[in-house]
Amino acid sequence: MGRDLPFLIPEILLSLAVVAMLIAEMVRMARLALWFGLAGLAVATLATLPLLTADTTVFGGTYRIDLLSGWAKLILLPGTAMALLLARAEIAGQQREGSVYSLLCLVTLGALMLAGSGDMMLLVLGVVLTGLGSFALVAYPRDDAATEAGMKYLVFGAVTGSVMIYGLTFWFGGAGSTLFSDLGALEDKPLIAIAGLTAVIVGLGYKASLVPFHFWAPDAYDGAPVSVAAYLSVITKVAALFAFAQVLRDLPVESNWPLVIAMISAVTMTYGYLTALVQTNLVRLIAYSSIAQTGYFLMGIVALGTSAFAIPGLIVLGAAYVAMNLGAFAIILLAGRGLDDIRGFGRRRPAAGVAMVVFLLSLTGIPPLFGFVGKVYLFGAAIDAGYLWLAVIGILNSVLALGVYLRIVVPMYQSAPEATKSFDKPSPRALTAVIGVTAVLTLCMGLLAGLLPG
Amino acid sequence: MSFLALTLLAPLLSGLTILALRRAPEALALAGTVLGLIGAVGLFIAASDGTVEAVLPGLPDMPLRLVATPLTAVLALVVATVAVFVLTYATGYMAGDPEKARFFGTMLLFVTAMQGLVLAGDWIMLLAAWEMIGFASYLLIGFWHGRAGVASAATRAFLYTRSADLGLYLGAFLLIGVAGTSEISATLATTGAPALIAGLLMLVAAMGKSAQVPLQDWLQRAMAGPTPVSALLHSATLVAAGAILLIRTAPMMPGGALLAIGIVGGLTAVITGLIALAERDLKRLLAASTASQYGLMLVAIGAGVPIAALLHLIAHAAIKSSLFLGAGVFQHDREGTGLDTLAGAGRARPGIFTGFAIAALALAGIPPLAAFFSKDAIIAAALASTAAPWLLPLALAGSVLTGTYMGRALNVLWTGEAGPARTPVPFMAIGMGVLVALAAGLGFSFGALEHVLGAQIEKPGWIVPAMGLAVALGGLALGWFMAPARLLGPLLAPAQNGFTVAGGMDGLILRPSLSIAAACEAFEQRLLAAQVGLIRNLGLGTARLADRGDDTLFAFSIWIGQQSLRLGQDTRSIDTNFIDAAIFGLVRRIVEAGARARHLQSGLIHRELALTVIGIGLIVIVLLTAPHYF
Repeated sequence: MGRDLPFLIPEILLSLAVVAMLIAEMVRMARLALWFGLAGLAVATLATLPLLTADTTVFGGTYRIDLLSGWAKLILLPGTAMALLLARAEIAGQQREGSVYSLLCLVTLGALMLAGSGDMMLLVLGVVLTGLGSFALVAYPRDDAATEAGMKYLVFGAVTGSVMIYGLTFWFGGAGSTLFSDLGALEDKPLIAIAGLTAVIVGLGYKASLVPFHFWAPDAYDGAPVSVAAYLSVITKVAALFAFAQVLRDLPVESNWPLVIAMISAVTMTYGYLTALVQTNLVRLIAYSSIAQTGYFLMGIVALGTSAFAIPGLIVLGAAYVAMNLGAFAIILLAGRGLDDIRGFGRRRPAAGVAMVVFLLSLTGIPPLFGFVGKVYLFGAAIDAGYLWLAVIGILNSVLALGVYLRIVVPMYQSAPEATKSFDKPSPRALTAVIGVTAVLTLCMGLLAGLLPG
Repeated sequence: MSFLALTLLAPLLSGLTILALRRAPEALALAGTVLGLIGAVGLFIAASDGTVEAVLPGLPDMPLRLVATPLTAVLALVVATVAVFVLTYATGYMAGDPEKARFFGTMLLFVTAMQGLVLAGDWIMLLAAWEMIGFASYLLIGFWHGRAGVASAATRAFLYTRSADLGLYLGAFLLIGVAGTSEISATLATTGAPALIAGLLMLVAAMGKSAQVPLQDWLQRAMAGPTPVSALLHSATLVAAGAILLIRTAPMMPGGALLAIGIVGGLTAVITGLIALAERDLKRLLAASTASQYGLMLVAIGAGVPIAALLHLIAHAAIKSSLFLGAGVFQHDREGTGLDTLAGAGRARPGIFTGFAIAALALAGIPPLAAFFSKDAIIAAALASTAAPWLLPLALAGSVLTGTYMGRALNVLWTGEAGPARTPVPFMAIGMGVLVALAAGLGFSFGALEHVLGAQIEKPGWIVPAMGLAVALGGLALGWFMAPARLLGPLLAPAQNGFTVAGGMDGLILRPSLSIAAACEAFEQRLLAAQVGLIRNLGLGTARLADRGDDTLFAFSIWIGQQSLRLGQDTRSIDTNFIDAAIFGLVRRIVEAGARARHLQSGLIHRELALTVIGIGLIVIVLLTAPHYF
């Protein structure tokens, strides 16, 4: 126990920050809550750095301190800080402002738990902790759309969550332990392995919005505040995908999980991009394209254990995806939710326009941007693992991706129709900071990817 | 090493400076390209003594490499040379444009990307450069994006070339996987089935970039950009990338892949030659001719003599940039590039026309101009190849057509009214003049070049030059004297339509994917709402149940309210008004909440969940029936 605590310093610091934020919110000092949150996230990020080289487990193997969970902290904590700033830009001065900040940090705590889970109980805890906070965040605006979105998210979460818990009991029965590292015992118990695997796919697939568990996502993103949509599209999603990797790398390959994950990957990216191709609402377009991006992550999960590119690929694309998707949502916050709202945006706001082009091109996977590096890794991983057909589908989809994202780029540089909403109002400082940081990361990290884990 | 850096960094830095400063773009651009040219010359001299290599940090285990062998150094030299003179010309051409800075900046970034591709020593670097070229060409083709149709033309070019990138990704990773390294020279030792598959995949990638049949139609549509852009794209850069890829990987190609390359190239040479002949627009004619000439290069690669393809690529780079630059001057004069509009334009500018004519004759293969030598090398290669019965007729037909469409273009430019005299165009004339001189004289350097590259081409006997000359003269005569309608006969209409099969890429890929996309959307929006079978009953039943629950809850609340009211009235010890307010307030709240819940389209959730359940079922079925399980 005493040995374990130093490995948990980032989580402990974040929890303390959340407590401080709740107190600040109680005395109605929302700005103070924001500062507590930012400081807590920053300190927790710094505290993660010395732990990056560790590869161990704590609390009897239930919580993993390894490369994946270390990088999850390094990606998700700063990502949450960006989301806090976005929320500040969007809802500053509203009632309950401070509770949004504390909920965001609390959900991130659950996300960290997901990404490091080495045990079924902890996995369930992570799913529930991320879920409860998210429902409230989605329903924050208290209008019809948000209430419906939150409701839908809740019902989906309840159903998939209970299916997951039910299925995990099979694994527990079969393996005699709740630790993932004991899943090897299922090698000769195929039916039990399948039952649990299906349940985990449902539970985490819902969190990561894989097809066909994605239905809540576009409605939730559209109904929620833009900053919350940005947060949900990156933080909980990346955490769920990392949790997927934690579970599946211990599951015997005999249960054929790589094949079924590969099929879901192919369906998810194709369905996501095709549907994104016909959206007219910018938030929904990005929502569907985020679903498609999840499919690319799955290519790395398919190759876990068979390709050396898999884990670095997941980490690199995870970091890239958080930066570029948050950036794109920040621009939506600035420009508006409709595809028409962005017409002429690039002409009126040249710097923000260039930033948006950088985000979208990086999402498409154009070099030398960050997204390209992640995709090269994951295509390589899929081919390495013998899933050539999956790589073919992935590359074909990156053509579709170009079509999807150019639908935003092209109108940005057309002339704006008369008397539209003005883009000239000054953007809040918090928003400018988020756009600047994410744009620089997206631009430069592609060139510095050699520094990332190998 | 330092020359390597100069070749790449000079254009990159000057491009970035232009984009940042937005001042003196012409001077900076020329400085950058001239420095790049000096770097390329130095690199060429250094590389002829021995390979120059630089290893940069890249991905872990896969560093980025730059390699200057004699082959890659020659290509870098060609790119740098064409860039200098095209940009000199552009100084005049873009003189009045308000967005000069963006133009020159993008052009330099494009040149940098191309040098990166040419000098790439590992597959990741090559992939990155390949994609950047695609993106930079998108920016350049769409430079005048405000004009009608330009943005869509640029998008189309980008999408089409990118779909063929599939081949490069798969081929490169296949080679990396087999060889265990990403270094290009090491992966070329691959043999057997992987080499064949990788070779065919590379061919797919090259077909997209070099506009080979059936992926040819994007190239002509890409004429929407400024003329210097076309001159650069069609000579030594974008389109050349495909042929360069095949030339570099030629040592690995087994016989089957070579045959496929030769046939694709031969068919393209003929088909796009016919399209060029049927064209009614000078720039589009030149664009089709580019595809046709790259087809001839592929024939040489397929015949197993990639050095002949390289020579033709070099000759073609000088010739085609000259032709486009000439066309640009005529376009300036006549405000259009339609052949009807340009009739007689050559008479008004005898100097420019002479340059254009020299380049045209060079392309047709008239001695001693550049392409005479390279085309002979291609015909000789086709003749000596084991696949000669296939390749030779296609190569000869492609050469005849070259003469024919160039003859026609010359005829149109010369016959007609000259119109009034024009203002001089000094920068344009200088840029074009040098390139024309190269187009005329480059052939004499080919012997020395073969020596440096260490690959001598056997000098053919009299039969090949005689055949080449006859074909060139015959083609030119046909083109000068006969109208295309008579030459092409029934082929005219399909040739004017670009021989699109089943609607071309639009019909084969674009429209189907859009309709699938619409179907997906409909599935999500409408099919869900459509009431079908089990799902309907489930959904409606649950909704009814929820409704009844709602009513019960409502009645219950009223009852509680009434009971409490009675309690309140009975005791009378508490302020009745307070109780009233509280209880009726509570009841009102609950009714409101119910009304709000009815607003929700909660029925949809059930249907979506039903689809989720179907998804779970499919996953279980896949897991149970998957092979190698039991």
